[in-house]
Amino acid sequence: MKDIDAKVLSSEVLAEGLIRIILHAPEIAQTAKPGQFIHMLVPDNAHVLRRPISLMAMDKNAGTLTLAIQPKGRGTQIICDLKPGDTVKCLGPLGTGFDGKGAETIYFVGGGVGVAPICGAMDGFATESSCAFFGFRTKDHVYGMTQAPCKVVAVSDDGSIGEKALVTKPLLEAIEAKRPDLIMACGPTPMLAAVQKIANELDIPCQLSLEERMGCAIGACLGCNVKILLPDGGWTYKRVCKDGPVFDSKEVAFGG
Amino acid sequence: MADLSLNLCGVQMKNPIIAASGTFGFGREYDELYDISALGGISVKGLCLGGRMGNPPSRLTETPSGMLNCVGLQNPGIESFIEHDLPWLLTKDVAVIANFFGTSIENYCQAAEAFANTGVHMLEMNISCPNVHDGGVAFGVKPESVYEITKAVKSVSKQPLIVKLTPNVSDITENALAAQEAGADAISLINTLTGIAVDVHKRKMILANNTGGLSGPAVRPVALRMVWQCAKKVSIPIIGLGGIETGEDAAAFMLCGAQAVQVGTANFTDPFACPRIARELGEYCDAQKIANPQEIVGTLKSY
Repeated sequence: MKDIDAKVLSSEVLAEGLIRIILHAPEIAQTAKPGQFIHMLVPDNAHVLRRPISLMAMDKNAGTLTLAIQPKGRGTQIICDLKPGDTVKCLGPLGTGFDGKGAETIYFVGGGVGVAPICGAMDGFATESSCAFFGFRTKDHVYGMTQAPCKVVAVSDDGSIGEKALVTKPLLEAIEAKRPDLIMACGPTPMLAAVQKIANELDIPCQLSLEERMGCAIGACLGCNVKILLPDGGWTYKRVCKDGPVFDSKEVAFGG
Repeated sequence: MADLSLNLCGVQMKNPIIAASGTFGFGREYDELYDISALGGISVKGLCLGGRMGNPPSRLTETPSGMLNCVGLQNPGIESFIEHDLPWLLTKDVAVIANFFGTSIENYCQAAEAFANTGVHMLEMNISCPNVHDGGVAFGVKPESVYEITKAVKSVSKQPLIVKLTPNVSDITENALAAQEAGADAISLINTLTGIAVDVHKRKMILANNTGGLSGPAVRPVALRMVWQCAKKVSIPIIGLGGIETGEDAAAFMLCGAQAVQVGTANFTDPFACPRIARELGEYCDAQKIANPQEIVGTLKSY
């Protein structure tokens, strides 16, 4: 974990409403794992909370990190306005990350901006028999399909790319054809809850990457805690920043 | 280089920079980034007997030049802290301030007593958390109840007792005086200002607790004013906090009458904020030809 001045190498439109930023951040890229994130300072001296941003790709040799950022509010808009040559404070790598060790066949599930960390997971863990399922709003929102290390099935809300369906439809069809050893998922909460239901009912190991507003991002402030179920039937709060953001689907309690 | 050291209520500290409760855990996470012995003190995450789960998410959100939180005093309990975290913390060359709260006067007293013979250097009594319903701020609003709880807790405390005051009152100096009269060794102010944040698209509150506590630079002018007002009324030491981001911010609080300061939200903006602020305070003193910043405490010139 290092707090560094990362240099912006490029910033360009990746898809509708999504900017891809490539950072030169060798100290972080050295040790970064798929599913981890960085905590980025909004470079304007006015925003007190940094923004947690997951890693879409990391290149240890080039020392680069690739991020996909949705300019949702003022802070992320300022980040998306960064130009090549600018520097930005980044703390990382943070969090637990995905773990695909020992899994022969992995099904990757991504929705919207959540496709980005799934791309990182695919780079790290995809095998020949693995498959990814991406859900986008329209064809204009599509990204992460080229250079994918395994087969990708895309669906959309309007049918402009792939089937007009929720991403869980092709996922279920694929599971019926071949049961995977592991599922990795990131995306909007309703999507994660649907994937969780499928995985838990069929008893397929599944890792979900969660998102929450963060304060310190290193485990000290407890601002990003979410409800986590315990094996004894009870529950506790765990920190998305330090205990996650990737959790076992059996322990995540959506809806409080 | 200026000497930043001070003696706060009999506790020797290398500088007046204290990590504020609730933003710094028990110091372990920040110690992965730098040696926390660089700080004057650490006010640990607010503790109670038996621990507390805290509030459901979402627990924080950003606001203009600040943030709201409603973590709700989640903590593993005084017992767990003493067993698992304090031994490690005491290996650090830093004043350990045990921030604590309770649900009744008896419960506050039991909490304070639990720190006897533990090596904790000071106690900071939280009677000002806006985010819990049973206790906390209920004791911190009226001067009579501030007096009553301070008197009771002071009589059983084995360490110097700091009383942390809420700004959500009509006249904070009355509560500062009440704490002093009841025997408090110091006061710290301000805790967060109560606020809300609205999601206009969902037409819903953003925080699960509805209300939260506002902190960060947005509250700094209010905190400075309150420290300045209290310093004119009380003779016990004041620890100032509220939106301190730089060494010059710390100096401003000291000019207003604070002997020491706490740094909270700035730890999130810059995880190295505490040691940086200590260094910047030294640079300010050198530039101002001040041998020790204690020289400037309460020396602010009025118009």
